[in-house]
Amino acid sequence: MAALLRADFTTLWRNRRSFGLVLLVSLVILVSWKGLVDKLGGVFVLSSCITIGLTSIGLMGYSNSIARDRDRGVFQRLRVGPVSAWTIMMSRLIVQIAMIVLMTVLVFVVGYFVDHIYISPVGYIAGLLMAMLGGFVYLGMGQAIVGLIKNPDTVNSTTRLVYFIFIMIGMFGEFGVLGKKIGLLVIWSPYGVVRKVLAASLDPASWNMDTTWALLAAAGYTIVFVVLGVKWFKWENK
Amino acid sequence: MINQQQAAAPVLAVSQLNVQYGAFQAVKDVSFEVHAGEIFGLLGPNGAGKTSTLSAIEGLLHPASGSITVAGFDIREQPLHARANMGVQLQATSFQPELTISEIIRLFASIYGVNLKDAAVKQKLAEINLEEASGKKISQLSGGQQQRVSLVISTIHNPQLVLLDEPTTGLDPQSRRQLWERMEHFRNNGHAVLLTTHSMEEAEAVCDRIAIIDHGRIIAIDTPEALIAQHRDDPAVLSVVRKGKVTLEDVFIGLTGTAVRS
Ligand SMILES: Nc1ncnc2c1ncn2[C@@H]1O[C@H](COP(=O)(O)OP(=O)(O)OP(=O)(O)O)[C@@H](O)[C@H]1O
Ligand SMILES: [Mg+2]
Repeated sequence: MAALLRADFTTLWRNRRSFGLVLLVSLVILVSWKGLVDKLGGVFVLSSCITIGLTSIGLMGYSNSIARDRDRGVFQRLRVGPVSAWTIMMSRLIVQIAMIVLMTVLVFVVGYFVDHIYISPVGYIAGLLMAMLGGFVYLGMGQAIVGLIKNPDTVNSTTRLVYFIFIMIGMFGEFGVLGKKIGLLVIWSPYGVVRKVLAASLDPASWNMDTTWALLAAAGYTIVFVVLGVKWFKWENK
Repeated sequence: MINQQQAAAPVLAVSQLNVQYGAFQAVKDVSFEVHAGEIFGLLGPNGAGKTSTLSAIEGLLHPASGSITVAGFDIREQPLHARANMGVQLQATSFQPELTISEIIRLFASIYGVNLKDAAVKQKLAEINLEEASGKKISQLSGGQQQRVSLVISTIHNPQLVLLDEPTTGLDPQSRRQLWERMEHFRNNGHAVLLTTHSMEEAEAVCDRIAIIDHGRIIAIDTPEALIAQHRDDPAVLSVVRKGKVTLEDVFIGLTGTAVRS
């Protein structure tokens, strides 16, 4: 496991350019929303940017790397060795969780110094923990996509499309620009529930019944995505 | 160490193996054994079911039925033990393109529980004349060089069974000879080697026994000499003989037909 982890982290590091891009989007949004912090609230801005970061890690980072390595036969070569399938996957997931931590801390730091968003220490810690949990909604979604689609190019374009939809939702959906019905849909979408739970974690005093429902919904989404993703997933590339 | 008792039992036993892809049956009732100190060749036209048979042994696919044991371990019941006792070279080489050759060697050594120091990695690379390649990525090597890396990795843990899927395809004659010597060296140290090949010359040169597989079924299994002796008077074999001397290739074509496979 340690050797596999080292290899997976090395791979991540050698691909740092494309992974840097994955992180960049949420930071760009964070900086460009600087002027809106007063209007939207710091917690809303932070939670939106982290959620967008989580979607990009799960959808762009995770699913594409899995689809690519499956297509190249990297998994097959590992699987003929004495390692279980779970070990191979676990190593991949740990790398993604490290990415989530890095992204969240970056958002906190940039939010602090550029946007002057200050929250309580408890809020930072709870937010970081919740980001790791919330990340599983999108890792699960990424898993479901690579389970459903074999071709890495199709996976790439599909995740881009879903990601684009999420960004649009994130930027405009919750403001009610798209109407009330859609607004409600957005709030209970995999995007909305994670953002809501994150926001409440960053400001623990604001946690209420609605947040608990959102948390349950996020857990439900994760379970559905992971079950489907594991069920559909095939290791071979044919 | 391989003791007397293990030497007596087959290192690989495949029994009544059936592999199914949806409605298509790729491997039909295949049974054979490979013993320690033996190089066993699996021969067959394209699409005959060689890679599918190997995949079942490697545990990459679930056979529809049949049993497979490697070094006494059932591949379904104790897959990790079975896989720890085999070294594999897949038909398509497939290592992480982001890693360097020495990183890949070290990764797989650890996976197989072998602790390799830097000097040992160098030594391994020197054995295949690739010392300079240690810092290169796999895609920067030629096809034959990649094959050699793949071979080193497949034997890094000194396994009882080595599975090689078309190991000499794409190798130059020198590398091919070197590979043959490595296989023989392995056999002489009491290991079992199972390889697939399209080269009858190779089968005759290194295999102690061969099985000819066609449309998923084993149609002949014996030493190369015995197969030639048995079939030298078959009309189908005689009709394809060139220059009067019956070769293994003539027997192969006689048995599997002249039609090119899709
Ligand atoms: N994943 C798969 N799904 C469906 N059919 C498959 C799959 N893999 C192989 N086949 C089919 O099974 C048959 C046997 O394939 P296999 O790869 O075992 O042949 P082979 O003997 O290794 O051939 P070659 O000499 O070309 O490598 C072929 O007809 C092939 O099309
Ligand atoms: Mg094959």
